[in-house]
Amino acid sequence: MTLLIMLAVFTKIGLFSVGGGYAILAMIKQEVVLNYGWLTEAEFFDIVAVSQMTPGPIAINAATFIGYQKSGIAGAVVCTLGVILPSLLLMLLITLSYVKLRHKPWFNRIFYRLRPLAIGLIAAAAIMAGRDAIRDWFSVGIFAVALLLTWKWKINPFLLLIGAGIVGFFLG
Amino acid sequence: MLGSIFVTFLKIGAFTIGGGYAMIPLIRSEVVKRHKWLSEEEFMDGLAAAQSCPGPIAINISAYVGFRLRRYSGLLVATLGALLPSLIIILIIASSLTRFADLESVRRVFHALKPAVTALIAFPVFQMSRSGGVNLKTLWIPVLAAGLVSFLFVSPVYLIIAAILWALSESVPSGDRKP
Repeated sequence: MTLLIMLAVFTKIGLFSVGGGYAILAMIKQEVVLNYGWLTEAEFFDIVAVSQMTPGPIAINAATFIGYQKSGIAGAVVCTLGVILPSLLLMLLITLSYVKLRHKPWFNRIFYRLRPLAIGLIAAAAIMAGRDAIRDWFSVGIFAVALLLTWKWKINPFLLLIGAGIVGFFLG
Repeated sequence: MLGSIFVTFLKIGAFTIGGGYAMIPLIRSEVVKRHKWLSEEEFMDGLAAAQSCPGPIAINISAYVGFRLRRYSGLLVATLGALLPSLIIILIIASSLTRFADLESVRRVFHALKPAVTALIAFPVFQMSRSGGVNLKTLWIPVLAAGLVSFLFVSPVYLIIAAILWALSESVPSGDRKP
């Protein structure tokens, strides 16, 4: 029964959160802390902190973590599926219509307006990430070196992340 | 091909640190630059669609890329690959009693990782601007959107709805992409 409720709650979260991870976190907090009381606010923020520090989308990490704390591995799987299923189906519909309609003028007009907005939303994500990440001279230096390596030497982003992790471990 | 899609997204999933937007430069580097599975324009459109669709952006864009490559099995394999590393790591962390975020070494690593991730997210903004149709006349759109979302915390939903309504209200077809 609990598993079904968890599935329903996280499906609802997945369905009604547009705009990426942070919008979803706000929805998760509303449902899990305020509506259902499964976690206290402090526990929720602990989970968010861990979710930011583990690989993968933050909202999905948080869903997995909350599910595991409530009902073990079954709960983790249920909450993860719940949060991604609605968007997988919707994204499938969008992709299907994109493949079918992308040569229609009215459909192309929508993407013509969405593309610059998409760039703006990525810029917003960079600004928000920077506000959290760049706080001292060390992080300013890492940011500048990373930007230079990416721009001038087209360094592979995977190598860049490994390098930054190693530098941080020894000097951070 | 399916195996190669799975391994690519597994790698992307394992290296995405700092949330969904951090996954975008990695997907772009693998899918557009390395494997040349999609053109920059097709990737750009997938990104715009992924942002307009509810749910985690990283999963939406994985689903889009997977579907474009190998239809339904591609979609399944790409999303599964992107999900698995974090699922396994979260289960390990959640089942151990260590307060992971308090570990000194983890804090040091993230001290350097976070600014590097910021650079990775910021860089494609300039690189993708051309395929995103940003020019002197449309520059105000990304600038305004970035300001509204990052400083005034306006939800992107309203901006997406506004952009779609604006596009549909235009009588002159201006959307035909110029080569």
